[in-house]
Amino acid sequence: MANDSPGMIGKGIQIRGTLSGSEDLVVEGRVEGKINLKEHLTIEQSGIVVADIETEQLTVWGQLSGNVDAVSRAEIKSSSVVVGDIRAPKIVIEDGARFRGNIEMDVKLPPNI
Amino acid sequence: MANTVIGSSIVIDGEITGDEDLVIQGTVKGKIGLKQSLYVEGTGTVEADIQTQNVEIAGQVTGNITATDKVELKANCRMVGDIKAPRILIADGASFKGNVDMD
Repeated sequence: MANDSPGMIGKGIQIRGTLSGSEDLVVEGRVEGKINLKEHLTIEQSGIVVADIETEQLTVWGQLSGNVDAVSRAEIKSSSVVVGDIRAPKIVIEDGARFRGNIEMDVKLPPNI
Repeated sequence: MANTVIGSSIVIDGEITGDEDLVIQGTVKGKIGLKQSLYVEGTGTVEADIQTQNVEIAGQVTGNITATDKVELKANCRMVGDIKAPRILIADGASFKGNVDMD
């Protein structure tokens, strides 16, 4: 198997614990605990994640419960259900997505506002 | 194939369970319970007790293995721990320390 194939947690797999790494990861199964990634994390439609997440970039199509700290960008797609606080410079929530929680984009307002 | 791959830079500390094949190129510590096959590739490092149907090891494994079908130790693998399975294959060049129980 090629070494550059993206890491993938398939539909039939459950992981409980901490997961860390520095490559792209796609979750179609279930992860509980903590995720710490230096690249792009994708939670597919079948994916269920109950974890606090620190990552470079996050894309959610599935279900996520936990706080997110993304370095560059977090995208909540239309099919997703997300509960938790999100912190990222860029956050996209699509029409149809269900979300409950805090959003912090670190916006610097002009001083006269 | 919806194959689960734990990539070479990924580190998992905890428990992995499931009913599909799992390929490990990275590091897993803790416990693995599968209903299918586990492949520990050359870059893979596993410190875990493993319960599965099939295991193929080309990397490093520390821990006890219980397989319902087959355990295969490939050349250049390093394995420390006890193995319990009906079929156990050890290739020339594999390094292994532990007990073997074929029932």
